[in-house]
Amino acid sequence: MNTLQSIVESIWDQVDVVLGWRVGYDPLHPVPTFVRDRKDIASLIWNPLCAPNLSVFLAKFFRTASQRDKKIGILAKGCDSRSLTALIQEGLVDRDRLLIVGLTCPGTVDPDALAAARTQSGPITAVAFANGMVEITSADGVECVPLDRVIERRCQRCRHAHPVLYDVVLHDFEPRPVPKDPFAHVEALENQSLEARKAFWLKELERCLRCYACRNACPLCVCQDHCLAESRTPKWVTQKDTVADKFLFHMIHTLHLAGRCTECGECERACPMKIPVGLLKEKTAQIAMDLWHYESGTDPGARPPLLSYDASVTGI
Amino acid sequence: MNNASFVSHAELADLLRRLSEQAEVWVPTRQAMTPHRPMFRPFQAGMDLDFQPMPVTSAKGVLFPQGEELLKFRKEKSLSEATVTTLLWEDPAVFRPTIVFGCRPCDARGFLVFDRAFLQGSFVDPFYKARRDKNLVVSMVCPEPDAACFCGAVGSHPADTEGSDVQMIPVKEGYVLHGLTEKGQEFLKNVENTPSQAQQEEARQVWTSAQGSVDSGASLTDDAQHFFKRFADTAFWRFHTERCLSCGVCTYLCPTCYCFTLTDETNGVHGERLRSWDACMFHHFTQEASGHNPRPTKAERFRNRVGHKFSYFPEKHGRFACCGCGRCLRHCPVGMDIRAIVRALGESEEVHD
Ligand code: SF4
Ligand code: SF4
Ligand code: SF4
Ligand code: SF4
Ligand code: SF4
Repeated sequence: MNTLQSIVESIWDQVDVVLGWRVGYDPLHPVPTFVRDRKDIASLIWNPLCAPNLSVFLAKFFRTASQRDKKIGILAKGCDSRSLTALIQEGLVDRDRLLIVGLTCPGTVDPDALAAARTQSGPITAVAFANGMVEITSADGVECVPLDRVIERRCQRCRHAHPVLYDVVLHDFEPRPVPKDPFAHVEALENQSLEARKAFWLKELERCLRCYACRNACPLCVCQDHCLAESRTPKWVTQKDTVADKFLFHMIHTLHLAGRCTECGECERACPMKIPVGLLKEKTAQIAMDLWHYESGTDPGARPPLLSYDASVTGI
Repeated sequence: MNNASFVSHAELADLLRRLSEQAEVWVPTRQAMTPHRPMFRPFQAGMDLDFQPMPVTSAKGVLFPQGEELLKFRKEKSLSEATVTTLLWEDPAVFRPTIVFGCRPCDARGFLVFDRAFLQGSFVDPFYKARRDKNLVVSMVCPEPDAACFCGAVGSHPADTEGSDVQMIPVKEGYVLHGLTEKGQEFLKNVENTPSQAQQEEARQVWTSAQGSVDSGASLTDDAQHFFKRFADTAFWRFHTERCLSCGVCTYLCPTCYCFTLTDETNGVHGERLRSWDACMFHHFTQEASGHNPRPTKAERFRNRVGHKFSYFPEKHGRFACCGCGRCLRHCPVGMDIRAIVRALGESEEVHD
């Protein structure tokens, strides 16, 4: 049977580096790691706490390390593989230089949901996953919570828990089934009155810090060092701590991701203030599907709609 | 301890309401959308207070707002003369008294870092000073340190009183309050009740067990000494910062980060000079007008953050510019751990690039 370690061992001679996850400062926070030494393969892990989408590192990697001749190995959950595919579609990374280890994904854990589901409060010393349950060990003992109850919003609506693009796949977990209505969250909001929606966003965005973690964690936000949120000439957004300026930044972010966003949900996961900024991008993804039957990051050969021009398209 | 006061859970909201008549009282509150991430907000009746988990934001905005108008200006153009006059006038800012109520001991110590930066030396920041002079800090003995907390490693502990005017100790029926400074003693006149013997005893126990609840053995002081030895070791900094996303989470949530930028925000002929938070992790932080950036990659930027907090600032001011609150690792989207990097400074092991 394949294990993460055996797969990485098997591709090791073809790659320069493997992007994966390892244990972080506590059992709840695995962190991205770049394995360049064979002995570090042992430190790689994959479980529903491995939330960060590693494809965020690739565009820069390809800009700065392009002279190397070996491939880059990367672990990719379903949604991560969509981001990889979108990067390939846009010519930002080179498919031939990637060795993708696809991971069938049961969903990743939302730490706040986990905190809410726990009945014990002692610091967590170990977490294990088996039979759809999260098994949490702390000084208070062991408790089990169904994984389904504590997964992130992105996972509740995920349509590609089985990776869309890979060279080799690891089937450690059952991929989540496709939900009935992946746009239910957007629709619930849209069904409200204009006033209610405005009030919703004002309340949510009021606490935005403009830390730009949502932008920097986004694998498709590739101009982040030259983002117009911070450009001085010309100046689009002021530095004021007002909701109007925050709103403008989020609108710009959303529009730059229109027809490109792969719904990986990293923007929302990265946000320390838990602002559901993913909803904005989900709306644009829904529009791209309705208008062009286009689903970003599912076909490496497809041309992103906003990178092409077709005079016959109506309804825009 | 003498001069203790007591406020029960039931009386707390009324106390805060009365205090709000004299000052802006910043409390950790739970919002419906983010029940597990309390934030500091000015108290309003009916608020859902939550002193239990560490607030996601620190209270730093009370003394150092994220965006602050320093002055307003207006341009005047004359049709007859080909000149543009810029009229300046100071913003007649009114600084209300503020009370930070129920922050952690680490947050209270964070303000001491600001005091060094803004109040010491030949230039005193008038805005910070005006706020600080009218500010009072009520910190609470920390109820539940988590895996990210490391106050013990920076010379403090979860029951520390340094930087606080009043310390509140959570007991079953409410809070026992001790005045620590003159201001704090004065403040306690607002609280009529005194704790019973049993409550005093309970408070003593809570204090003692909190004091030892974060490992104080692993001080970062010795590791930090190696910073300059590592300064030019580019491979070290590359290796340790490779996963950083260069966002502003760590610095914006940090109670000891005080870097700011100045911008003139104009709208037609009107404008204001704004001071707003900046972050050394942002790519353009030290970008020069020519386009040159002496800290071109995140390796140099992260090195600055470590150096500032654990080497340059302590050298100048005799304390770390870090209070060990752990927010920077707790909320980092990729779990960067500044403690681990400081610890690694002295390691001899070779790192590969
Ligand atoms: S990550 Fe959250 S707080 Fe930061 S800029 Fe984005 S929405 Fe705002
Ligand atoms: S906008 Fe958000 S959901 Fe879309 S690709 Fe970027 S991080 Fe992922
Ligand atoms: S250390 Fe974490 S929070 Fe800080 S800039 Fe890097 S990714 Fe963002
Ligand atoms: S550097 Fe991190 S631990 Fe230290 S004060 Fe800032 S946020 Fe807290
Ligand atoms: S230099 Fe960096 S670490 Fe230091 S205060 Fe400024 S933002 Fe914080």
